[in-house]
Amino acid sequence: MEEYHLTSPLTDEDVSKLRLGDTVYISGECFTCRSRLQKYIFDENNVLPFDTKDRNILIHNGPIVVKENGKWRLVSFMPTSSIRFEKWGAKSVDEWNLKMIVGKTTMGAKTAAMMKEKKCVHVSPRSVSPNLWIDSIEVQDVHLYDELGRIEAAWFFKLNDLGPFIVDIDCEGNNYFDKLDRKIEENKQTALKELGIDDSFEFTKLY
Amino acid sequence: MIKTEIYEKALFETIKRGATEISPDVKDAFIKAIEREENPDAKNGLEATLKSMEMSKERENPLCVDTGWPIFYFKVGNQCELEGGFVELENAARRAVAKATELGYLRATMKHPLTGYDPGNNIGMNIPDFTYQFVEGDAIEISYAAKGGGSECFGGTRHRIVAFADGIKGIEKFVIESFVASARAGAVCPPSVLGIGIGGTANVAANLAKEAACLRTVGSKHPDPMFAKIEEDLYKAINSLGIGILGAGGTTSVLAVNVEYAYTHIAGIACATSTNCMVARRASSKIEADGTVRKMMSPNWFGDR
Repeated sequence: MEEYHLTSPLTDEDVSKLRLGDTVYISGECFTCRSRLQKYIFDENNVLPFDTKDRNILIHNGPIVVKENGKWRLVSFMPTSSIRFEKWGAKSVDEWNLKMIVGKTTMGAKTAAMMKEKKCVHVSPRSVSPNLWIDSIEVQDVHLYDELGRIEAAWFFKLNDLGPFIVDIDCEGNNYFDKLDRKIEENKQTALKELGIDDSFEFTKLY
Repeated sequence: MIKTEIYEKALFETIKRGATEISPDVKDAFIKAIEREENPDAKNGLEATLKSMEMSKERENPLCVDTGWPIFYFKVGNQCELEGGFVELENAARRAVAKATELGYLRATMKHPLTGYDPGNNIGMNIPDFTYQFVEGDAIEISYAAKGGGSECFGGTRHRIVAFADGIKGIEKFVIESFVASARAGAVCPPSVLGIGIGGTANVAANLAKEAACLRTVGSKHPDPMFAKIEEDLYKAINSLGIGILGAGGTTSVLAVNVEYAYTHIAGIACATSTNCMVARRASSKIEADGTVRKMMSPNWFGDR
């Protein structure tokens, strides 16, 4: 497993070298997104009011940001579950030319297929550690604040070596968690047997 | 008579402490998990999480960006008298939640379920949620729990009626399969405090599971050996699965398995699970009849466990 320190805008070369389970730290400009932004753009036919060309990292996150003395201050940050946004995942990767999505959990098969086509990766955190992250994030700006509200607005962040994240979908569309699932399933069969629940056990169907 | 000013202040302090300070029992569970964890990346993740949680106390910021559903549990003495009564207690709790949100201890997370309208203060129809338990005495114990979206939205909370024919095996298989599905890729933010409710109607089992997840002291055992054995067997079984912190692999998948039960109908056994995320936020305070307020180390919802 390798460790990489990458800076946005990310290139195809940056992300093509990443393998499942590699550790990544990220710097440079990115934006945040939750479902309300994707619904607003893709389902309600609005135009994204900014360019993602030099900001091709999307973080699934609803941060806590407060305004103090006319400046934004980031109170807390933790990537949220990407899998909930699968409905718009492929479109986001395609139309916003994303090279990296940061989120807890992972994306589904449709997004992974688009990530393979467009050369994009998904990375996820291995801890819940907002205080180890917020000092690496500068709040630059916010878009669609009035339309989408404080949490679901598109925040512009400038990152300074934010991480560690692990690569869970690579540019070939492979998923780290699919591999892990097979191992967990094997362990589950062993654990059930140890509890005296063998393969012949079937639930009595009540409904 | 306990004055409004006193219980409102206690409610606010309890919310703030629940949102920003790791409970002592959860901290102990983290320290033990770090010692035992065999996967080095998972060990680093547990250490980073504990370090961040300790920093939240100094910085007075939330333990996690998702500050969850605001939920109150009141253990009320039968002779407890509150200025304005219990309607005012709930009003004061709403005001305290709104204030904690305004000050950034809570994120404005509660939305209208259909329109997505965000009131900006975590207050709306049936939210916050209130549960009461009545006991002898004239004091009131307040517990605030913040149930995270991850822990609640990905199948960590579910229910099944198990036939008597399937018994404990059916219950344990249901729990293990539910947990594996909900913890995939770290959806419920493992290592979880897994609550299990057995018996009652479906909603009784679900409430017991939630209370077992949110209010039991982490590391405690059920006093009845039959239920303590289920806790121990499932704790070992789930930690052998290799799910790990945020589902990325490791030997710590649950911090605790807590079972609570109710008598059930001869026709079947309602069984429910509720996972609490690794930060397992809660705080409790006791207000005596004379208005003295003190912090409680543990919610005392289930007595000494």
